[in-house]
Amino acid sequence: MTYQISFRNEGEMPDLPVSSGTTLYNTTGTWRYVRPVYRNKTSPCNVACPAGEDIAQYLGLVAKGKYQEARLRILEENPFPGVCGRVCPHPCESECNRAELGGSISIHMVERFLADLAGGAPVQRLPSNAPAGATVAIVGSGPAGLSCAYQLARRGYPVTVFEAWDDLGGTMRLGIPAYRLPRHVLDAEIAAIARLGVEMCTGRRLGDNLSTADLRAFSAVFLAVGQQKSRALEVAGEDAQGVVAGLDFLRRVNLGMPVEVGARVAVVGGGNTAMDAARAALRLGAQTVTVLYRRSRYEMPAIAEEVQEAQDEGICFEFLTTPVRVLTEDGAIRGLQCVRMQLGAPDGTGRRRPEPLAGSEYTLNVDVLIPALGQEADLAFLEHWAGGGLAQTLSMANGLLETDAAAQSSQTGIFVGGDSATGFGTVAHAVGSGKRAALAIDRYLHGEDLNGFPALDQHVHAAPRDLDPAVVRFADLNLAYFEELPRPEPKQRPAIERKRDFAEVTDGLDEQQVQQEAHRCFSCGTCNGCDTCWLYCPDVSISRVDHSDYQVNYDYCKGCGICAQECPRRAIVMEEELKWKK
Amino acid sequence: MEKVIMGNHAVSFGVQLARVQVIAAYPITPQTQIVEMLSELCADGRLAAKFIKVESEHSVMAAVVGASIAGARAFTATSSHGLALMHEVLHWAAGGRLPIVAANVNRTLGPGWNVWTEQTDSLAQRDTGWMQLYCETNQEALDLVLLAYRVAEKVLLPVMLVLDAFFLSHTMEPVDVPEQALVDRFLPSFEPQYKLQPGEPCSFYGLVTPEYYMELRHKMHLAMQSALAEITAAGNEFGRLFGRYYGLLEPYRLEDADVVLVTSGSITGTSRVVVDEWRARGHKVGLLKMRVFRPFPFAAVRQALAHAKKVAVLDRDISQGLGGIWASETKGALYGVAEPPVVFPFIIGLGGRDVTPESIHKVLDYTVAHDAPEDDTVWMEVKR
Repeated sequence: MTYQISFRNEGEMPDLPVSSGTTLYNTTGTWRYVRPVYRNKTSPCNVACPAGEDIAQYLGLVAKGKYQEARLRILEENPFPGVCGRVCPHPCESECNRAELGGSISIHMVERFLADLAGGAPVQRLPSNAPAGATVAIVGSGPAGLSCAYQLARRGYPVTVFEAWDDLGGTMRLGIPAYRLPRHVLDAEIAAIARLGVEMCTGRRLGDNLSTADLRAFSAVFLAVGQQKSRALEVAGEDAQGVVAGLDFLRRVNLGMPVEVGARVAVVGGGNTAMDAARAALRLGAQTVTVLYRRSRYEMPAIAEEVQEAQDEGICFEFLTTPVRVLTEDGAIRGLQCVRMQLGAPDGTGRRRPEPLAGSEYTLNVDVLIPALGQEADLAFLEHWAGGGLAQTLSMANGLLETDAAAQSSQTGIFVGGDSATGFGTVAHAVGSGKRAALAIDRYLHGEDLNGFPALDQHVHAAPRDLDPAVVRFADLNLAYFEELPRPEPKQRPAIERKRDFAEVTDGLDEQQVQQEAHRCFSCGTCNGCDTCWLYCPDVSISRVDHSDYQVNYDYCKGCGICAQECPRRAIVMEEELKWKK
Repeated sequence: MEKVIMGNHAVSFGVQLARVQVIAAYPITPQTQIVEMLSELCADGRLAAKFIKVESEHSVMAAVVGASIAGARAFTATSSHGLALMHEVLHWAAGGRLPIVAANVNRTLGPGWNVWTEQTDSLAQRDTGWMQLYCETNQEALDLVLLAYRVAEKVLLPVMLVLDAFFLSHTMEPVDVPEQALVDRFLPSFEPQYKLQPGEPCSFYGLVTPEYYMELRHKMHLAMQSALAEITAAGNEFGRLFGRYYGLLEPYRLEDADVVLVTSGSITGTSRVVVDEWRARGHKVGLLKMRVFRPFPFAAVRQALAHAKKVAVLDRDISQGLGGIWASETKGALYGVAEPPVVFPFIIGLGGRDVTPESIHKVLDYTVAHDAPEDDTVWMEVKR
């Protein structure tokens, strides 16, 4: 549509060069060879979360004040936000892009805030799709077992959980002391799962008063028995009275059983069990607690905050040392002979290998020795397995139950997960593992193919969001929109006070701080309705449906790409127009 | 209401009274307080305007142009290098026939980095199609903001309001701040004929072929010419409402003067004192204060100077290779006059060097002592 406008004289002309009609007829979109498309990408925190939480999305909901929606979004994936908000080593925060500009978002504290909200809506049931008559048995009520039970019960399955001990929760209850995880928090989250109709059978130990024949009555079985066997010191005298394995010690403490700690306690090991045992011993009245670790502080596998808190409470640390003999008297421990170590060449894990320093032996006076050198799965029940009516025993790999990406064991219908199958050793990993098993069992009971599950080191989602798998890194963000803001640190009870009891050490963040965190979040890859694209479009071709939904008018969008370039969080991609593709 | 305020704030008050709707600015000494105060007025709601912070003066003028195309009364202020950076967009504002007002606080251009006053920055923009008004006092700075919008919106050309760095910008003077109701009578709201509207978009400032470009420039020329009458009319109307009259020129003891000083800006006040002293000694000396540089009031200048014998033009500016810019225009105005006065072009006070009564005495001494200038330009008080 073109026609010539002729002016006979300047009087007929406008004062300035301006079109005499609207330019709407000119659909400049035809000039476009690339088009902007809103496509949310994956945030590093989402990738890192072993429980598969959609952190980017729920932080966005928190920023808008939609706390209950945010909480329910977590509960889609993880029934234990109160637990994980406290004890998770938060790998999400290690990956957080905010670390480069004021400190990573305190994601675990936001999660804890949401979990602790009063008057939270009950967890959401999903429309039941369980095949008639299908039932599921779960062995182990740790985070893996209960996560699996939760996801299946939500989908309408009758689920029975068998627990060897008299209390539910597995390591969450038996391993983690109350000063890190108050029992009312754990109890409430387990109770919410039970309210979905999960039958909880405590005091039923596999191979003891729970037989494989009992399990055969169920359509599918999920084994999540955890790791409860402490590794031995393998030094002379370790069976002396007064030597108690870390897990056994913590279990007795956590179940409220009587524990003698004496005046001088030595803990051997550098992991979280060692920290928990040392701090629990201190709270039980030990006068000195010394942690012996054969490498340096830098190599300690324990969460750095835990180490710092232990140090603040007066726990002594001796690095580069290892016990070589337990000194005994009348069958009871009286001391520990140790040797100094030095770090040699890196070993297979990349950490430098500790080597004893000849002639550096010394003696330590000790009343109680707690070795906490790591743990392994106690799979003694497998010896009775095949005899119980099941065709053959389960395969092992590296001391763990063998599993594939769909949580299947070597036997059809038997699914395995949690620490006894994966060995990851965190609540969040166990939650993810239980969820993976639940989704697999659901498909299995529908007779569906079990291929296509993400690899074991990747997470699974119960309610996946449509996300481009491309991960948005710090360099991808448009930093013009972000300024450096500090990460708020929670208050802690003074060390002198807290080391006397088992009440919680660390406070949560208040609402204002949580809002600060939600607003500090870059929302990497996830559109949060910031209006930048709408504001910048030079062709006025982006319309704002509301503050979270934008539409591109492709009749006029010339494909300049300013919206995609300007988007602070890279939630817009430019796609080549098909007509230009060869 | 009488207030004792600096020239920069006088401009800010003028902008507030003009009910400006969009302000974009980038700070530069000595302009800073103008936009500083305006940003506060916008922030606390005393002025219902959108204040846009921009990353450079080029973008400042682009933002103001955009606002003006959309029909908003728009303002900015700058100085020296900032104005130089705006140069390209100054053409778009004028060619786009946008009634923008921009204050320029005269500051010397580097190098020789220098923040003091000199008029070269604004005079160098003479061919951009902007009107230029020069202020002598803080009162004039406030009043001319209102006058500038009234004329700009009448003839559809932008106005540059010019005031001296420090001598006006940072110097406190008593200023009558007029009543808003009265200002609203003088300066009603403005509705442009062409306006950018997202709902009914038009194409602005597109390609114009040689067939029509010349006509557009001719229409600008006619608008610029008509501005002379519009400024006169608006100045008279302003006087009726506020008691202060503003014309194209301001003659002082000119009637029978043989020697006339031609001045602009804050030098004028100093020169008046010297004129009085020479008059007291019996010399027929007068003064012509220039207010309007574009459009240049050739006819009025010719009429005012035709009967003088000598005209001493004070240029606080330099067009290298030409000389003083005011002197050049003054000579042009006198071309063709029978027995024209001899024009003495003085370059004085560059880089903010103080022009004292003593300096003006020297100018007059020279002018009286010589029949004609010894050179194309006479550089005053240069350490040779």
